[in-house]
Amino acid sequence: MRNVIAGAALALMGMTGAALADGHANYPDRPVMMVVSYGAGGATDFQARIVTMTAGNEDALGMPIAILNKPGAGGRVGWNWFATQAEPDGYTLSAYNVPHFIAQSIKGGVEYSTDSFEPIANWGADPAVFVVAADSPMNSMTDVVDFAKANPGKLTFSGAGLFVGHHIAALQLEKAAGVKMAYIPTKGGGAAAMKAVIAGDVMGGVNNLSDAFRAREAGSVKILGVFDLERNAFMEDVPTLMEQGFDVDNASVNFRGVMVPKGTPQGIIDKLAATVPTMFENKRVAGKMKAGGSPMHIMNREEVQAMWAKREETLKELLAGL
Amino acid sequence: MEFLFYFGDVFTPFNFGLLLLGTVFGLIFGATPGLSPTMTVALAIPFTFKLEPAAGLILLGALYTSTVAGGAVSAILLRIPGAPANIATTLDGNAMAAKGEGAKALQLSFLASLVGGLLGVFLLIAVTEPLSRWALAFGPSELFWIAILGVTIIGSLDGGSLVKGLLSGCIGMWLATIGFDDMLGAQRFVFHPSLGGGINIIAALIGLFAIPQVITMFAGGRVDAAAEVIKVQKHRISDAIRELMRRKRAAGIGTIVGSIIGLIPGVGGQIAGLVAYDQAKKLSPERDKFGTGHSEGVIAAESANNAMVGPSLVPLLTLSIPGSPTAAVLLGGLLIHGIFPGPDLFVNHANVAWTFINSMLVGQILMCVIGLYISGVAAKIAQVPKHVMAAVVLALAVFGSYSVQTSMGDVYVMLSLGVMMYFLERFGFSAAPLVLGLILGPIAEENFAQGAMIANATDGLGPYFLTGGMNLVLIALVIASIAYSAWMELRSRRYISKEEIIQ
Amino acid sequence: MSDLSLPRVQHIVASGVVALVGVWVTYLSFTQHPSEAYVFPRLIATVFVVLAVWTFIKACLGWTKVGNGLSGAHFIRLLPGLFITMIYVFWMAKGLGFYTATTIAFFILLTLYDPAPHGAVLSWVKRVIITAVFLAVMYGLFALLLKVYTPREIFF
Repeated sequence: MRNVIAGAALALMGMTGAALADGHANYPDRPVMMVVSYGAGGATDFQARIVTMTAGNEDALGMPIAILNKPGAGGRVGWNWFATQAEPDGYTLSAYNVPHFIAQSIKGGVEYSTDSFEPIANWGADPAVFVVAADSPMNSMTDVVDFAKANPGKLTFSGAGLFVGHHIAALQLEKAAGVKMAYIPTKGGGAAAMKAVIAGDVMGGVNNLSDAFRAREAGSVKILGVFDLERNAFMEDVPTLMEQGFDVDNASVNFRGVMVPKGTPQGIIDKLAATVPTMFENKRVAGKMKAGGSPMHIMNREEVQAMWAKREETLKELLAGL
Repeated sequence: MEFLFYFGDVFTPFNFGLLLLGTVFGLIFGATPGLSPTMTVALAIPFTFKLEPAAGLILLGALYTSTVAGGAVSAILLRIPGAPANIATTLDGNAMAAKGEGAKALQLSFLASLVGGLLGVFLLIAVTEPLSRWALAFGPSELFWIAILGVTIIGSLDGGSLVKGLLSGCIGMWLATIGFDDMLGAQRFVFHPSLGGGINIIAALIGLFAIPQVITMFAGGRVDAAAEVIKVQKHRISDAIRELMRRKRAAGIGTIVGSIIGLIPGVGGQIAGLVAYDQAKKLSPERDKFGTGHSEGVIAAESANNAMVGPSLVPLLTLSIPGSPTAAVLLGGLLIHGIFPGPDLFVNHANVAWTFINSMLVGQILMCVIGLYISGVAAKIAQVPKHVMAAVVLALAVFGSYSVQTSMGDVYVMLSLGVMMYFLERFGFSAAPLVLGLILGPIAEENFAQGAMIANATDGLGPYFLTGGMNLVLIALVIASIAYSAWMELRSRRYISKEEIIQ
Repeated sequence: MSDLSLPRVQHIVASGVVALVGVWVTYLSFTQHPSEAYVFPRLIATVFVVLAVWTFIKACLGWTKVGNGLSGAHFIRLLPGLFITMIYVFWMAKGLGFYTATTIAFFILLTLYDPAPHGAVLSWVKRVIITAVFLAVMYGLFALLLKVYTPREIFF
C-alpha cells in the first residue's frame, strides 16, 4: 500500500514538473473560481455570471468558471481575502471594480493596492448617473446645484457606499460646482441607494447607468446627467455633466473586469490574457449583456494596466483633500 | 383573474417537468446545511441562460419556494436551520422530533408552508399596487425602529430569564459588529484573520444550533442505544390536516405577519418567522408549551416564512427594486432575457410574468405533496443512534459552513461559536436571542447611521426619528412589547419563587 | 442559602467570564480608532456590560434560576469528543483535505461513542460500513452535485 501511495505521489510530482516545463499548457485542468466582492444579484455579480458563461467552451478556457460571492464593506471583504488568502495558482480569479478598489487602497485600512493584483481583461464600463424621483421638481443638474447653493449641506443624495464609483462621482460634483451636499452611503449597494431615491428618503442619488435605465423604464426616476466624457448609447437624451457646465470627467466610471493575485505564474497570466478577452467577445455574451442593459467595454491586459495607472493618479489627487 | 388564463403554460410537459425538477432539487438543497435559498437560486441562473424566459423563471420560482420549505427539514430533524428564515422552526420543530413526533412536525410544516405560501402569492396577485407603496414606506428611521422592535421580542423567545435573554441578544449584536464597518470601512474587533470578513450569518447559525447539540450527544456518553431509542410515531396526513384546522390562529398569525413583514425591503425575510412565532406565542392560551415541541410554534413559523415569498417579490415586480437578496438574483434571471420588471411588466410580458406567478402557485402544491410523501420516511432520522447522529451533524456542519463562501475561516468561526454556545446554554443563555441580535444588530446600526446622516442634513435627529405616523406606531409597538415582557417577567417571578420555596 | 454547591460555583465562574468579556469589549469600544466607527459598539457594549455585571452579582448571591450547569461526569464524557472535533476542524480538515479528515474523524467519533462493546468484531464492521456510506453520500452531494471545491491534500 505504501508503495502505491509513494508511486502515486511521484507520478503527481512528475505531472506538476511537466506542467511547469511546458508553460502550463494544460491549464486549466479543473474548474476555475471567480470571486465577486458583491452580493449575489448585484450588478457586478449579474454581469460576471454572464461574461463567464462561455468559459467552458473549447475555444475559451475549456473549463467552467464558478462565481463565488464574498460581499461586505463595499467590496473590501472580498478583495482583502483575495489579496491575502487566495492561492496564486490561476484557479482563483476575481472580478475588479475600478475606481472602487483603487480608491479604497488610497484611503487605507485595507491590505491591497494596485500592486497586489495582475489585471487580465476588462469587460464592462458602467458610468454613474444622477437620478431624482419622477415627481421631483428638479429637472437638470443646474437645478440640483442651485438648490445646493441655496441650502448648503442640506441636499441629501444616496450612493452605494464610501469610496466606490458613486462616491467619487459625488466628490467630483461637489468640487466642480463648488457646493457642499450631504452624500448618504447605503449598505445594500446600488439597489438600496435607488430605493432611497424612489421612496423619497433622499432628494436625489448617484447610481449605475444600467440600474437607472431600468428604473426610468419603470417610470420611477428622472436621470439628470451622466458622469462620463460622452453621452451613453442607452440614453442618448441625457446630457453629460460636462455639457451642463460642470468640469467632471470619467474618473467615476465603474470599470469591471477580471484579475488574478500577484505571484500567479506568468505563463498562466499570458494564457488568460490571450483567451479571456475573446471569451468576452462571444456573440451570446454580448446579446445577454445588451438585453440586461449592461454596457460592455472590452479592454486587453495592457489597456487595463494603463487605465489602472491613470485612475490611481486621478484618484490620489481627488482624495488628497479628504 | 387574468392569471387563470395563463395556467395552461405551466402544464406543458416540458414546463411541468422543470417545475417538478426544481421542486425536488429545491427540497434537497434547502435541506442541505449551508445552502440558503439565495445561493440555490444563484446556482441555477446559468441553467436558465439556455431556456425560454418563461421556462427559466418557472425553474427559479420552483427553486425559491421549495428551498424555503426544505430548510425546515434540516431545522426539524437535525437542528440545523438552513437559513435565518428557519430559526423559529427549529425551536419547536426540533423539540417535536426529539419526542418522536418528527413526522407530525414535518407534515405540519409542509401544510403550513402551503397555506402561507398560497396566500402570499395570492396577495402578490391581488394587491400588488398598494403593497408596493407599503414596501416603500420604510425609510431608515422606520427600519431602525423595526430592528428595535425585533430586539424586544427576545424576552419571549427565551423561556428562562429575561436578563439572560437580553444579554444573549447583546452578545449577538456585538458579534455582528466584528469585521468591516460597512459605512466607514474601518475594521473592528478583528482578532484573527478568519474574522476579517465579519461573521457570516449562515455559518454562525449552523454553529450556534448544531454544535451544542453534537456536544450534548457526546456528553451523553456511550449509552445503550436500545435502552432509549426514540419511538418515531406514525402520523396520518389527515390527522395533520385536522391539527392544522384546530390551530387556525397560529396559521393565520403566521400568514398575516409573514406577508406584511416579508414586504419590508432588506429586513423582512430574515425575521418574518421569528416575529410570527413571537406573536403566535403571545396570543396563544397555551403559551407555556412553546419551545417544548408545540405544534403552534411550527405552524406559525413555517406559514410565515413561506407567506413571505410572494410579497417579497412585490417591490421587484412593480418598482424594479429587489427587496431581498433572492429577489436580486431573480432580477438577474429576468434581465438576461431582456425583461425589465416594472409597472408594465404584466402588460408587455404578460405570459412570462403570469406563468412565473402561476408556477409558484403550482410549485407550492407540488412541494407540499412531495414533502408530505417523504415526511414519514424522513422522520425516521430521529431513530439514528446518537453516536452516529453526532458525527453526521458535525460533518454536515463543517461541509455546510465551508460551502457558504468556500472559506475555512467560516468553519473556524462556526465551531468556535458552537462550542461557546454549548457552555453558555449550560448556564441559561440561549441561541435564539443571540442569533436575533446577530441579525438585527447590523440592521439597527446601518439604519441609525444612515438616518442620522439624513437627519443632520435636514431637520435634526429628534424630529427625524420621533415624528411621522409610521415612526409613532412603531415606537408604540416597541413600548407595548417591552411592557408585555416586563409584566410576564414579574408574573413568572412570583410563580417561580413559590416553586423555589417548595424545593 | 449559603451553601456553595457545584452549579452555583459554576454559575459564578460562567457569568464572571461573560462579565469580563463585557468589560473588555467596552474597554475596546471606547479606546479604538476611528471613534466614529465605534458609536454603535459603544452603545451595545454599555448595555452588555451592565447586564453582564448584573447577572454576575445575581450568580454570586445565588439567585440564578435557569441553567443546570455541567456535571463532572458529563464533562469527562464530552471531553474526548470535543478534543477530536477541535483537531478535526482546526487542523485535519485543511491539513489532510476535507474528505480524508472527515473519514478519520467520523470513524474515531463513532468508535468512541458507540455503546457496543469494543471487543465485538461485528460492531467494527458496522462502523466501517456506516463511515463509507456516509462519505459516499457527502461526496455525491457536495463534490458532484454542488461542485464545492473543498481543500484536498491526500486522495480526493
